[in-house]
Amino acid sequence: MKLATLLALPASLAATVLASASDTYSEHLHLKPLPNGALYAGFNFTASTPLTAYESQHFRFFPRSLGQILQFTHTSELHLRFALGRWDEESWGNRPRNGRREGGTGVELWAWLEAQDQKEAEERWSGLVNSLSGLFCASLNFIDQTKTITPILSFAPEGTLDPEQANLHLMHGMLPHEVVCTENLTPLLKLLPCKGKAGVSSLLDGHKVFDASWQTMAIDVRPVCKGQECELEIDQTVDMVLDVERSMRPRDNPIPRPPPVEDVICDEAKGYNAHDTCYPKRREGEMEWGLSRIFGRPVQGSCPAGSRENAVDIVVEIPQERIVDAVPEDALDTVSTTDSQRSYRLKEGQELDLRLPHQILDQAQEHRQTLLHAHRQMTGYGQERGGMHIVITNPHPHSQRVVYLESLPWFLRPYMHTLAISGATIENMYYTPAIDRQKGTQLEILLEVPASSTVEMTYEFEKAILRYTEYPPDANRGFDIPPAIVRILPSNASSDDQGSYLRTTSLLLPLPTPDFSMPYNVIILTSTVIALGFGSIFNLLIRRFVLVEEAPKSPLAVMIQNLVKKVKGAKSDKKVEAAKDSSSASILKDTPNGEVRQRA
Amino acid sequence: MGLSLICILVGISWLLLLPLNEYSRQTYISENAILPGQVHTYFGGSEHNVFRAYRQEVWSLGHRKSEEEVTDGLYDLLQEIGLRPARQPYSFQVAGETIEGTNVYGLLQGPRADATEAMVLMAAWRNFDGEVNYSAVALVLTLARYFKRWSVWSKDILVLFPANSTYGPEAWVSAYHSTSTIPSASRNISALPVKAGALQGAIALDYPVGPWGKRFDKLDVLYDGVNGALPNLDLLNTAVSVASSQMGIGCSLHGMIDHSDSYQDRLKCLAKGVMSQAAGHATGPHSAFMPYHIDAITLKTVGDGWHDEMSLGRVTESMFRSINNLLEKFHQSFFFYILLNTHRFVSIGSYLPAAMLVAGSFTINALALWVLSGRGPVESPGKPKSTSEKLKEKALVAVNDGKDVMLVPKAELEVIERKMFLPAIVVLGVHLISLVPLYVLTHKEKSGITFAFAALAISSYLLPIYLSGVLVRVWDASVQQLQMLQSFSLLFVGATLSTWATINFSLALIVGLLASPLSFIRPITLGTSPTEPNALLNIVHAVATSFVWLITSPPLALFALSWYLGKDITWMLVEIAKGWAAQGVWSILVIWSVWWPAWVLGGIVLVSSIRFDRVPPAFDM
Repeated sequence: MKLATLLALPASLAATVLASASDTYSEHLHLKPLPNGALYAGFNFTASTPLTAYESQHFRFFPRSLGQILQFTHTSELHLRFALGRWDEESWGNRPRNGRREGGTGVELWAWLEAQDQKEAEERWSGLVNSLSGLFCASLNFIDQTKTITPILSFAPEGTLDPEQANLHLMHGMLPHEVVCTENLTPLLKLLPCKGKAGVSSLLDGHKVFDASWQTMAIDVRPVCKGQECELEIDQTVDMVLDVERSMRPRDNPIPRPPPVEDVICDEAKGYNAHDTCYPKRREGEMEWGLSRIFGRPVQGSCPAGSRENAVDIVVEIPQERIVDAVPEDALDTVSTTDSQRSYRLKEGQELDLRLPHQILDQAQEHRQTLLHAHRQMTGYGQERGGMHIVITNPHPHSQRVVYLESLPWFLRPYMHTLAISGATIENMYYTPAIDRQKGTQLEILLEVPASSTVEMTYEFEKAILRYTEYPPDANRGFDIPPAIVRILPSNASSDDQGSYLRTTSLLLPLPTPDFSMPYNVIILTSTVIALGFGSIFNLLIRRFVLVEEAPKSPLAVMIQNLVKKVKGAKSDKKVEAAKDSSSASILKDTPNGEVRQRA
Repeated sequence: MGLSLICILVGISWLLLLPLNEYSRQTYISENAILPGQVHTYFGGSEHNVFRAYRQEVWSLGHRKSEEEVTDGLYDLLQEIGLRPARQPYSFQVAGETIEGTNVYGLLQGPRADATEAMVLMAAWRNFDGEVNYSAVALVLTLARYFKRWSVWSKDILVLFPANSTYGPEAWVSAYHSTSTIPSASRNISALPVKAGALQGAIALDYPVGPWGKRFDKLDVLYDGVNGALPNLDLLNTAVSVASSQMGIGCSLHGMIDHSDSYQDRLKCLAKGVMSQAAGHATGPHSAFMPYHIDAITLKTVGDGWHDEMSLGRVTESMFRSINNLLEKFHQSFFFYILLNTHRFVSIGSYLPAAMLVAGSFTINALALWVLSGRGPVESPGKPKSTSEKLKEKALVAVNDGKDVMLVPKAELEVIERKMFLPAIVVLGVHLISLVPLYVLTHKEKSGITFAFAALAISSYLLPIYLSGVLVRVWDASVQQLQMLQSFSLLFVGATLSTWATINFSLALIVGLLASPLSFIRPITLGTSPTEPNALLNIVHAVATSFVWLITSPPLALFALSWYLGKDITWMLVEIAKGWAAQGVWSILVIWSVWWPAWVLGGIVLVSSIRFDRVPPAFDM
């Protein structure tokens, strides 16, 4: 057997080398300062493997752990998202990657699975979420049938899949309450060839990533076919927006204490400006920042995996006059420099830090208008009814076609007759009503949003009363309602068939919550009642009721009685002797005793 | 009758027992997550310089001419701090007056929050007494700027500057829940352009001091909500514990700065709490939040001491950190309580029996009257008793009980048929009529409201006399029917008040006590012959009941309240009308539609036996 293993090793190595002919890996980091002292950092890691190698379980850059799960569950295309925070459209402008690598708050997962029928697809979906749950240390296994939907218009496969194919099933699920944290980042880094030890991924430190103002992690697996040659591509993305001021705080002093008086820039033009009165002035110009101060450590050289010939590791999107200092200077190759961005290539094994000093630029940063704004809020109060109010704003001078998808849990029961849409026309609508405890509501609306207009959508809903075991331990917080997904369909002119996406924030639904101390009171009360009832019935059943005289005296009682009698007799003898002269008293004493005896 | 008197007396003495240590409890923090005062507060240092500058800014804004300049100024300041600012104009039309204003607010998004929850930090531009709230507005701005640097917020923070202390927050919070954004005749509130998640708590600051500054002695914690709703006791305890234990600032309630914790002071605090809860009116900017189940309090600086704005800032910071810690809504602690001082409270289980006993006295009397109304003989009210005595003597029945034989008038043994239609109709009618004063006093313009009130007061006194005349003379109501009338009325009062006691204890208690003499009203019998043995007693009873009935009337009570508050009756009536229309205060409904009808019906019964003609009725039953 040992011999076989020894022989198998070179064989498999040979196979890997052969297969790696088209195995590719690339990574890069996109940095872009945003208004209001924010910095966008987009990490992207792409690996691919030929489909043939994947099917024969030859993995090189494609992570084996994930590949085996996908094979076992017959998943053709997978999209997994972990998100935290909100993208501030008003100050940050357009979403990165057209919002395609974003998820709703918490965890979002959708996949196309191969299965003969719906039942098999559901089984495989269940297998998929449970395996991914283990792999990513997230509660993905809570995506059960009540949280799974099958959107029709909102998602299109990114890879070369034919969605019309009968044996492909799209499944989608969201967990808005899942808190994304370091334990989800670590498994994601483990999937990378350099595992966060080298290359741009070495900058990903949990402390900094999760202190970001907005942060999303994505894993996308898709088959891409060029003619007959097919390969499986995995795209791992970590996008975040960091607050430069907050991220630059030294690690040993992370508390934002009020700065010393000397460090506050005062507006001296104010008439009242004095040694104790200071109107704070915003620091002018571009903020100073550096890679190692923002991410807490420098880049640990390049990741040697994959072809390094035309690799671009870091792209910084800044105006031309902005100064960038590389420390040390020789750790970096400048690939290209344009008006708006600079591309760099890392060198292997050399630490690198980029520093951008404080600088006042002539021209202000251009502000890109977002494609669409969408807000969703809950209206009303009380524990029985509520309403949903959705506002979609199109700031552009052309109309846009939009798919609005809402996946509601079953305990939120929308009244569809109250659905009112003002300012737009419904082109198409798919609605799957909820089944209590089995299936949630799925609502998909295709809308045409006119140019420069605001669309308002409202509907009312009823809050269901849950069984007491269905409440989570912190029932009084309320229940999270997953974000609505808005897909902006591509205009006819563009060849891009995905369009762009945006998601609203999740909502908190307060349900009628019983006082959970009550069950304990009830349990105590019922137990007492039952104990009393049981006691008396038990007594009635096993006891025989007789008159006191009929009952045989217990030997112990007889002994005690005799003892008492003896003592009493001794006492009374003494008394009789003591009161010999007054015999009437003894008679009086005797009479009550005599009476009692008579009655008995 | 005796039993219901005992009920009332026990109810009152129950209240007097509550301030004792045996019947009240020490306050405690029930929700472990709050951890009050466990965080170190850093607000201070250079923030004080910034605060002084903001106070100068706010001061100069306060001396601008138009309201618009003020809102624009606050809007710009919020924007400069980096919050997402927004405006909300609103207007109310009440009592011929227009209350207008614009709320300015800003959203501070918690950097790592998921937008599902939010907290509110507010400072009304004008405080409850109408002064410009310079220091509080400046402090809130400074705090907002300071909070922006922290990444610990799990909830968004809404910084709100309502234009005034009552209607601004009311407009804002109702628009936040989109409940009344459709304009109506009395209110026109615009929708909020910026919103966040579910509101978990709100803290208002009240510190109307200009740039010269003024140090304060204590923080007065205002907690009464609209319609007597109270915030969760945990929030109040957090404020008290942060202020007194962490910062060393004493707290007070209802402006009682020198609370010595004696029995008298505790009782006074209790009485003040009960009075303000019964009034049901807003007591500060926090009050409007309570109907939406958002726990809110106002911290008001009182007295002359050595604490400055930075201490108040640190208290606020610590409180926000505590609310931020909440994983659930405030729900652990009490929502129904009466405070005796900042550290002692009476829970609902201890105080509710007082109101229930008072309400129960009505029901007991109603049942007694019902039993009485079933006994014969059927009489006309005010008839000389001698005839009925004779009647009784005529028909005696021998009742055997073992060996004993008893002679009982026959009429007393017969259960007569109750003719309920007339009393039922009259009770219903009077309750319907009660909507007239309610409508008039809530819809009349300010100029005519005092006149309308006077007219209503006079007609309130005339109505029972007129109605009883109609009842007795035209409809020939019998004594039994009058008893049933009173019984129905008392039953209604008893049932309503005992239900109301669970919603607003204080209102039920006060109305119950004021209406309690109605249980003991019996027809005055002045027409009896002076030779009767109890004539003098009868006259004394008649004079006493009429006097009590005359002085415990709803109009007179309102008048007495205005006298007690030292305000004009017009001012009070307009405030009541505003409360009804703009904030939905229900106290006035209880007074006019529960107490007033009972009082009128009591009056009917009271005067039903008085006969002015002294001529025996022609028709004798």
